[in-house]
Amino acid sequence: MLSLILALSCGMAGGLIVAVIPQTRSRLRNLVVLIFTTAGMIFTWRVALRVFAGENVAIAGRIGELPWSINPDPLGAVFGLIAATLWLFAAVYSFGYMAEKHEQRTYYAFLLISFSVTLGVAFSGNLLVLYLFYELLTFVTYPLVIHERSSEAVKAGAKYILYNLGGASVILVAIIITYGRAGSLDFAGGPILANSLQNGLDWLLLLFIIGFGVKAAIMPLHRWLPAAMAAPTPVSALLHAVAVVYAGVYGVLRVVYSVFGHELVGRLGFGTILPFVAACTIIVGVIIAAKQDVLKRRLAYQTISHLSYILLGAFTLQPWGLAGAMLHMISYSTLKTTLFFCAGIIAEQSGATKISKMGGVGWLLPKTMAVFSIAAIGMIGILPLNTFWGKYYLMKGSVAAGMWPLALVLIVSGIINAICFIPVVVNAFRGERTRINGERGSRVTLMLAPAILLVIVALLMGLFPGFVWPGVQAVVNWFF
Amino acid sequence: MTATIIPDLPVFVVIAPLFVAFVLPTFARRMRLVEALVILVGILGFLGALYLASLVFAQKGSPLIYSLGGWQAPWGIELKAGNLGALFLLVVTGVSLPVSLFAKGNLAQEVGGKERSARFYVLYLLLGGALAGMAVTNDLFNVFVLVEVVTLSCCGLVSARNHPRAAEAAFKYLIMATLGSTLVMGGIGFIYMITGHLNMEFAARELASIWQHSPHVVWMALSFILVGFGVKAAVFPLHVWLPDAHSTAPSPASAILSGLAVKGYLICLLKFLYNVFGSALMQEFAVDRILVLAGAVAIIAGSILALSQDELKRRLAYSTVAQVGYIVLGLGLLNRQGLAGTLFYLASHAVIKSTLFLAAGAIIAATGKKKVSELSGIGRKMPLTMAAFTIGSLGLIGLPLFSGFVGKWYLLLGSIETGKPLPTVVVIAGSILCATYLLPVIRRAYFEPAPDTTNADWQDPQDPGFSQKLALILLAAIVVLLGVVPGPLLELAKRAAAELLLLQ
Repeated sequence: MLSLILALSCGMAGGLIVAVIPQTRSRLRNLVVLIFTTAGMIFTWRVALRVFAGENVAIAGRIGELPWSINPDPLGAVFGLIAATLWLFAAVYSFGYMAEKHEQRTYYAFLLISFSVTLGVAFSGNLLVLYLFYELLTFVTYPLVIHERSSEAVKAGAKYILYNLGGASVILVAIIITYGRAGSLDFAGGPILANSLQNGLDWLLLLFIIGFGVKAAIMPLHRWLPAAMAAPTPVSALLHAVAVVYAGVYGVLRVVYSVFGHELVGRLGFGTILPFVAACTIIVGVIIAAKQDVLKRRLAYQTISHLSYILLGAFTLQPWGLAGAMLHMISYSTLKTTLFFCAGIIAEQSGATKISKMGGVGWLLPKTMAVFSIAAIGMIGILPLNTFWGKYYLMKGSVAAGMWPLALVLIVSGIINAICFIPVVVNAFRGERTRINGERGSRVTLMLAPAILLVIVALLMGLFPGFVWPGVQAVVNWFF
Repeated sequence: MTATIIPDLPVFVVIAPLFVAFVLPTFARRMRLVEALVILVGILGFLGALYLASLVFAQKGSPLIYSLGGWQAPWGIELKAGNLGALFLLVVTGVSLPVSLFAKGNLAQEVGGKERSARFYVLYLLLGGALAGMAVTNDLFNVFVLVEVVTLSCCGLVSARNHPRAAEAAFKYLIMATLGSTLVMGGIGFIYMITGHLNMEFAARELASIWQHSPHVVWMALSFILVGFGVKAAVFPLHVWLPDAHSTAPSPASAILSGLAVKGYLICLLKFLYNVFGSALMQEFAVDRILVLAGAVAIIAGSILALSQDELKRRLAYSTVAQVGYIVLGLGLLNRQGLAGTLFYLASHAVIKSTLFLAAGAIIAATGKKKVSELSGIGRKMPLTMAAFTIGSLGLIGLPLFSGFVGKWYLLLGSIETGKPLPTVVVIAGSILCATYLLPVIRRAYFEPAPDTTNADWQDPQDPGFSQKLALILLAAIVVLLGVVPGPLLELAKRAAAELLLLQ
């Protein structure tokens, strides 16, 4: 329990400390950020390991009539682990990326506060607490989205707030209806609506999916995500490829497995359509991605597509499918963060943000492009990278659920992913070889090191998938 | 000692401010004393209200009744402090105390002169006393008297600033408000005509048995009351006086007008609808549907109008129009959760809107800039003021852990219980709209660089003085406190709702 409180409060405390450090003391600030993200990660690991071991770690209470409970289960622990681990990488990357940028104090303060809030989403023990942190996440990441202060960023911020507040409002209505029906909001005692009458539940499920679907970027609720690419690259890498969007995915998983339960969703008419909604987003998202010329936008649309991989696995309502979803959630996050890290290095060191302008960048930044290439291969989903395993189980789950066309969708999507990235890599090594080395200096090292490390992690996970298996298994056992 | 005070408590909280208001002019030259007296009355009033609330809370059900002059109910005037009365008394005293603290800071500067600020305080106390009276009155004609006192003192407060715009706004307000009073008066007359009673309970009992004999008169009475209080509480489209009046008044007055005066009228309307006509009659005459519709229109229209205002105080004033819509909508839900939510929302909005107006007032006083578009970077210069403003805004948007959320939660529970989509959709849409008109202010204040400070006429603005800071901190703390521990106030609201709907 102490670990849980410490894990949740590290980010918040660090953020407040950073807020009072003067703007010019950047070394001290970086040190504080490093200490608090590391501590947060360590405590999250401790909590997660205890949860996987089957221990009950919880804080609960009532305020008025409203129940509040923080009670991580394996699903929350997996999400928490992903977020906490990548946060450290993103923080180190930020030390390099943000080194010469303005308003660092605000940036780091809100980066740390969103760390706490994301863990809050992950560890929430009932719908109300989930809603609280989900809503807060929008507000505390907003300053990061508008960090550039340009009119484009402000517009993106407005879109970000509107979409996410709208989604959260829909969720609030759905939560209140759930509360009225079941009288409880806790995840711990099995699916909340398991014993509820079935009439009208289709609509309730629809409300929940629309609400969480905004952050999970289910099409057509995705438009805020490409706009949010106006944020600094570490934010795009961490929040808009992992933390924020995973909060939405996590919400959907919670709704399917903890609010309705997979048996009930299977009986609902709308529940059987859901996998196909996800399949549409997978294909359409990646096709739009292939058309983008701005690298970050291409990555954003690809995020949209890959988030629906996870949703697809969850919607198959099969143990294999859920296992695939969890594996993809873990492995995809490592590689996508890497891709964004590389995109940031390219933009900073060569000034190129558009793919058509990246001819010969590979000669300037050989290590970056090498890392980028490996991660890009991972997006296609082939060995020896970890994403292969997620995709394998997703297909297995689809077939087990009797929905073999979905397996086909995954294969087609893999091919389009290849079309998305191979030209980027090829283009980067075109043209004349320069003798300039763009990867000198401590700033680039700070950006490059997390990317290289993440790719190594991804490779290791691909070769030894048994390493992440206990977590995945715990989640599957928890719900089935 | 306490035994002798308890029976008289309902009248003390009303009389004390009125009495001080009358003696205040004799000390008009000694500003310190005036301010001290006002704050003392505020503190005493708040303690009295707290004590009263604790008594009502402990007694569960039976209200404290005080008969003026010792005359018993059907003939004499009755003051009744039940759950509703205790709740609203707490709101009135709890908000007006920080506001008078704030006024102590720079009122003279804002209204132009010491003498004018003494007059301001007289009106301020009259308003406070009359609002407290509205909370506890149980007599129809008494309501009318209090409505008039509130109206006239509000007019005075609006015109407190020495400025032609203030005079214009006050005149506009006077015309509209008099119209409203006349209609209310007419409505009371109709009720008296067919029931022969002015005491609410007696009138209600009589009305329940005879309304079928003269449904047209009941119709007239209902419509007069609805429109009359509609004008006074600025229910869209009868709100036209409000933005001018609330934005030109001195900031402490704006806070009280938006936070409390409008709520006083709504409480009166609520008493008429539920205590005199009763929920059965409301359904019979479709008043509930009218209220929901009017509230829905007010929420949407008020928010959209707020969105297009560049002047900060006008934006807040239009926001009040929208928030009144929530309360009117809630009055029409006719179920326990919804009504409890409405009452809590009323309390929460009173606190929040006062916070926002006071923070806006502090910013305007320090910078002289009234427009949202001129507030770039003010968050860095006046951190405490903007923090209070931010807390207020988040509360109004209805973020969990702020008071607005609890009210909204129960309002939504009630809306969903009606089974109709309109109230739910509107409540949700309203909070998104609320975010769209308040968040840009915060973004500008914190995330945009301040203009060039080397310019000679731009003095570096700072947070206001101690008493004003204290007022802002108190109000912001209440917003958070009510959001985190809504407990007792929510309980009062729930009991009041059950009582009003006659479900024990």
